Amino acid sequence: MAAGALGLPQPLGALRQRVRARMARWVRERQGEDQLPARLERRRLYILPTRGGVAFGTLLLVMLLAGLNYANSLALLLTFLLAAFVLVVMQQCHRNLLGVSVVALEAPAVFAQRPATLLVRLGNPDARARLALEAQLEGGERVRADLAAAASAQLALSLPPQRRGVVPLERVRISTAHPYALFRAWTWVHAPLELIVYPAPLGALPMPLHGAARGAARLRAGAGVDEWLGLRPFRDGDSPRQVDWKAYAREAPLLVKEYQAAAADLRVFDFARVALAGTEARLSQLARWVVDAEAGGEPYSLVLPQVTVPADRGPQHRHRCLALLARFEAGGATARSA
Amino acid sequence: MSGLAAPPPATQRGTAWACVALGGGLLLHVDRVPVWASLTCAALIAWRLLIAPRGRWLPGRVARAVLALGMAAVVLARFHTLNGLAAGTTLLILMAALKLLETRTLRDELVLTGAGLFLLLAACLDRQGLPRAPLYALQAWACCAAVAALATPTLPARAALALAARSLLLAAPLGLALFLFFPRLPGSFWAIPRGNVALTGLSESMTPGNISQLVADYSVAMRVQFEGPRPAGPLYWRGPVLHGFDGRTWRRSDSAFQARTALQFLGAPVRYRVALEPTHRRYWFALDTPAQSPAARVFLTYDYQLLSADPVNETARYQGVSYLQTRAAAALGTLSRREDTALPAAGNPRTRALAQALREQAGSDAALVEAALDYLRRGGFVYSLEPQPLGPDAVDDFLFRTHEGFCEHYAAAFVTLMRAAQLPAHVVTGYLGGEWNPIGEFLEVRQADAHAWAEVWLEGRGWTRIDPTAVVAPERLRRGVLELLPNAFSASERLLYQSAWLSGLLQRWEAASAWWSDHVVKFNYDSQLELLQRLGVRTPDARDLGWAFTAALLGWLGLVAWHFNRRIRQAARLDPLARAYLRLCRKLARAGATRPAHLGPLDYAQQVGRQRPDLAAAVQALCQQYARLRYGAAAPARAQVEEFARAVGRLRTARA
Repeated sequence: MAAGALGLPQPLGALRQRVRARMARWVRERQGEDQLPARLERRRLYILPTRGGVAFGTLLLVMLLAGLNYANSLALLLTFLLAAFVLVVMQQCHRNLLGVSVVALEAPAVFAQRPATLLVRLGNPDARARLALEAQLEGGERVRADLAAAASAQLALSLPPQRRGVVPLERVRISTAHPYALFRAWTWVHAPLELIVYPAPLGALPMPLHGAARGAARLRAGAGVDEWLGLRPFRDGDSPRQVDWKAYAREAPLLVKEYQAAAADLRVFDFARVALAGTEARLSQLARWVVDAEAGGEPYSLVLPQVTVPADRGPQHRHRCLALLARFEAGGATARSA
Repeated sequence: MSGLAAPPPATQRGTAWACVALGGGLLLHVDRVPVWASLTCAALIAWRLLIAPRGRWLPGRVARAVLALGMAAVVLARFHTLNGLAAGTTLLILMAALKLLETRTLRDELVLTGAGLFLLLAACLDRQGLPRAPLYALQAWACCAAVAALATPTLPARAALALAARSLLLAAPLGLALFLFFPRLPGSFWAIPRGNVALTGLSESMTPGNISQLVADYSVAMRVQFEGPRPAGPLYWRGPVLHGFDGRTWRRSDSAFQARTALQFLGAPVRYRVALEPTHRRYWFALDTPAQSPAARVFLTYDYQLLSADPVNETARYQGVSYLQTRAAAALGTLSRREDTALPAAGNPRTRALAQALREQAGSDAALVEAALDYLRRGGFVYSLEPQPLGPDAVDDFLFRTHEGFCEHYAAAFVTLMRAAQLPAHVVTGYLGGEWNPIGEFLEVRQADAHAWAEVWLEGRGWTRIDPTAVVAPERLRRGVLELLPNAFSASERLLYQSAWLSGLLQRWEAASAWWSDHVVKFNYDSQLELLQRLGVRTPDARDLGWAFTAALLGWLGLVAWHFNRRIRQAARLDPLARAYLRLCRKLARAGATRPAHLGPLDYAQQVGRQRPDLAAAVQALCQQYARLRYGAAAPARAQVEEFARAVGRLRTARA
């Protein structure tokens, strides 16, 4: 793809890609895995002239030849001043990146066929501003941010829509061409990062009301006026109506009243019982149900051939279920092709 | 990777910066390129900025192509070439202005900024005067700021200018060092067309009228610094010595291989350094009688003039040694005598008669000279820059009819008289005097100081300088031509040169200009070697220059490295305990167990234990020791800290 875009003949493009892969391996081996937050130190910064820099260098060469040929001192003085300027620029570019800290990398899970983003948080611990820091994924666009002194900024790198599965994000390039764009200093950040792509929530089958979940007797639940179970600490996503405000008023921690749900209200989504042909269609239908049940505030459980998630609700539960759907047969053909 | 992305589009702001770079380049050349070219470029810039700021109302591709071809054709018709500096500059200005009409991407804007730099280069090649130096610096600054602004869209204009100024100032010392030490080997890679180089200064022949032309030329011929005090009395700078006379024109001798007349030098030698401006001619100048040749490939001829094998195409610098008084150590050679008493077979009969009469009256050669000078003194002769034209017998006409002339007339007439009286004589051309600049402590000799005088052979004394002009206008010896010839300059020029305050200012300016010219514009291989010599290299050559160049570059890189390290050391200016702990962390990081920023020493030790069980015990102990010293109740004793540091040093992290 790279070769095609550049209009290079195929063998050259292939060679380019081979060299690039080799370089990537070498860099990976050299730097090792990064533990965030990572401060960019000298050992891991690379710098090369940009196209503009090469053009500027050519211009300088022409100027040097003209100055020497005409034995013109002023032209030579100008040439050498600009040559020294280029060296200074190289150093300034390097300094613009040196010491930046990569605070966090985060790729929020998305549904298939939806645009995904990788969030890169960069921090500037120094007392000088750093302009035009850029982050980039392999083959992706560069996203740019300016960092004031002692500030941080979050860059959102957009990824193209993906198929269901787990997309490993091998490395992120943090670079800068500021100032002058004659040089580009960059580094690779390798973090164990993967993008979880849920199946697209599709399918119009009605949500099954009864499952084969007789054994799941003790369940934390939300709606309904059922049997009193006790108090438990507040979790994100709990309805304010279930909070024990009286206890809170007595300066107790935020507690939530728990009840046992009636078995009739359980939603059990079983992969084996989805009346659809094809794995992806079934997974999409399951995802649809999970999303709908969560939106409706109903507890639900998920049954997959190897694993069963007991009934629950809340964002964590939802993510757990959807992630299992995303990883379904993970490592198989579907995940890899993404 | 960057190649995959489409180049960023041009912006209004970027186009404005490109216009600044291009407009600056245009301004540097505005008085050199044809007016229509300047106007075209200015109009296109204005159009782009004012009428079509958003890129609308721009001509299409066909129109642009037609315009480009048309402009090239006009330039070709005007200059008959596209190659020379003037034609190339004009073409570059026009094409860059056209390019302004199709700036679609950032790259186009950068190309225009490059054109601005190229125009700056062309300006440097064209003119190098001191007044232009600040203009060039401004243009370099503007171009660098434009590159900065184009590269970083969020950079405000003021910040771009500040950034460019800072970068250029940081670059200046290194640039200067590179300038001083980059070996400049003389000569050029390809021939430079020198078709229409105007020959300035004294020519190698003298016809009445060609020295007086020079009086209006106030440009500098040479600058002289004396080692020791400036000699008192008028300073005669000896140039071409003219022997041959065809009745109208005096020429140099062709018999260059005569033996040099032996001279006995009297008094103390005068040592001085000359910077001779390019004349594109072969002769050099020396004070009075030079004792030796100042350089290889420069010959001291038999009549004591300095003749170089190569024309002076760049400033010639040399050290001269001269004597103000000499005496002949031998008799005049026959060849010289014949040459210096030769006159055309016929012509100037009245002069010949006068010479005979003077010869008969005078008892000796010295008396003859005195009688001739007396004739000039009493004959009602006038010193004038614009004498009446002379007829075919020029000397007769001058001596007996017009009675007015310039130094060349007097010298020519006097030498003719002497030769007609059988006394060997020749004309010497050169410069007389010069203006002393007390600020720069140098003597500035201008073309206007050009002069011609005579030398006669007196038995026992040898060649003796006789300046017949001094008899007519004795002031000429003490003052410049200016005072003697009220009409030689315009009113404003007179004001400038005569007001004490203004001329003081002028002298200061001349001193600065001379410094600039000597140390920057005319800086060449010789100056580089001289610089090395002053830096202590005994016999410098190109290789030493290479070393100095490398040293300057490495020195700068070292400075940068030191600067970096200092920052890092400052960051880590910690107490010995912290330093030792950081050393431990670095060691472990190399061993593959980097300390995450949030882990304290004890947790870190546990993590290391998991990652490198072989190190677990040692690291555990060290980290506990550190925690005790750092966070313990009592401040750690120095010995304890040192003990900890040594323990860190002893830790071996290599896998067993």
